[in-house]
Amino acid sequence: MKNDKELFSYESLAFFGRVNASISHELKNIMAIISETAGLLNDITEMATEGHAINSDLLQTSARSIMEEIQRGFKTIRQMNRFAHCVDTPVESVRLEEILDLVINIAGYLAYSGTTRMRSLKNEKGIVVTSPLLLAAVVYHALIFSYKNSGPDAEIEIDLSQWNDKMWRIAIHGFNIKPFQTFPDEHLEKIAGSIGVGIQCDRFNNRLDLDVPTNLDDYSIQSDGMTSAN
Amino acid sequence: MQMENKVKILLVDDEVKFLSAVASRLTMKGFDVTTADNGDAAIEAAKAGGFDVAVVDLQMPGTDGAQVLKILKENHKFIEIIMLTGHATVDSAVECTKLGAFMYLEKPYDFDKLVDALMQAYKNRMQRKHERDEKRMAAIQKMAMGQSPLGLIKALSKLDDDQK
Repeated sequence: MKNDKELFSYESLAFFGRVNASISHELKNIMAIISETAGLLNDITEMATEGHAINSDLLQTSARSIMEEIQRGFKTIRQMNRFAHCVDTPVESVRLEEILDLVINIAGYLAYSGTTRMRSLKNEKGIVVTSPLLLAAVVYHALIFSYKNSGPDAEIEIDLSQWNDKMWRIAIHGFNIKPFQTFPDEHLEKIAGSIGVGIQCDRFNNRLDLDVPTNLDDYSIQSDGMTSAN
Repeated sequence: MQMENKVKILLVDDEVKFLSAVASRLTMKGFDVTTADNGDAAIEAAKAGGFDVAVVDLQMPGTDGAQVLKILKENHKFIEIIMLTGHATVDSAVECTKLGAFMYLEKPYDFDKLVDALMQAYKNRMQRKHERDEKRMAAIQKMAMGQSPLGLIKALSKLDDDQK
């Protein structure tokens, strides 16, 4: 089993920070809506005490808006909690479907994110032994690349399938790679390499394939951060 | 707040519920508010002209707040722009200031602070317009001396072009 120092670098810390920043941004937006809507209710109440007629529709819409935003806040905090627990155990058995669902949710907080759909696993288990945080980082950056090459109205699709008994494939498509865009950069390549994930960026077919080893310990880290199968 | 000529506000944010609540509150305070839920809609709305102050969210999908700020300042000389952000950084504040933002507020903010900022921005706009008018009058008086009526019309036309 790889130790923490081998796996966690500045790049993974930067990813953790980036996700936390986007989640806190989402929470600030939610708080801003609650704050303004509560303020509006207060303004309506003050006007009513001065003898103005109350707009009951506005009251109802405002109260509903606050309740909806509180639920949105709870959902965001749940995702934040799931993400925070990614670092509980450096390497463990994880369900790929759960990692993908988490990443789809946290990437959804970015201003330029589109809609993302994950295809069903056809009852396959999709369990791998890996670093949940680093795998999340690779998928997250792949999704960002997809969004940036498609626009906010895009529908990105993720297919998960067992490539062979040692490898699972996450295929991302639904975007058009712009000229001069490349993926991954050297930082992400280092992260992916540290957990044995292979990345293929297919410009011709506009898709990204992420090959995830069933067991991280089947791979060893080389001096340049790349991996090779044992 | 009583305003005979209502201050015209363009409010831009991709969070529709936020837009709706702030617009209602500002309207109750006596402002004349138009909303846009994306950057392109804001730029289009501004073409109709007449906005005193725009309040623009920095992070929006598509045309973002910084691009809206740049385009509005380029095309509407006297509009004042207050930027809103959920994540204030020194870099983004510096960038917005360079692009001509009047103020930069971090969400969630105190509503009274927004109202104060709007009034300050409006006063600043009126002051700048007043200064422009004074300069224009001085320039007209200077031109009028020794000009034929046709020459004066041509000179005024050039002056208007320079001050758009």
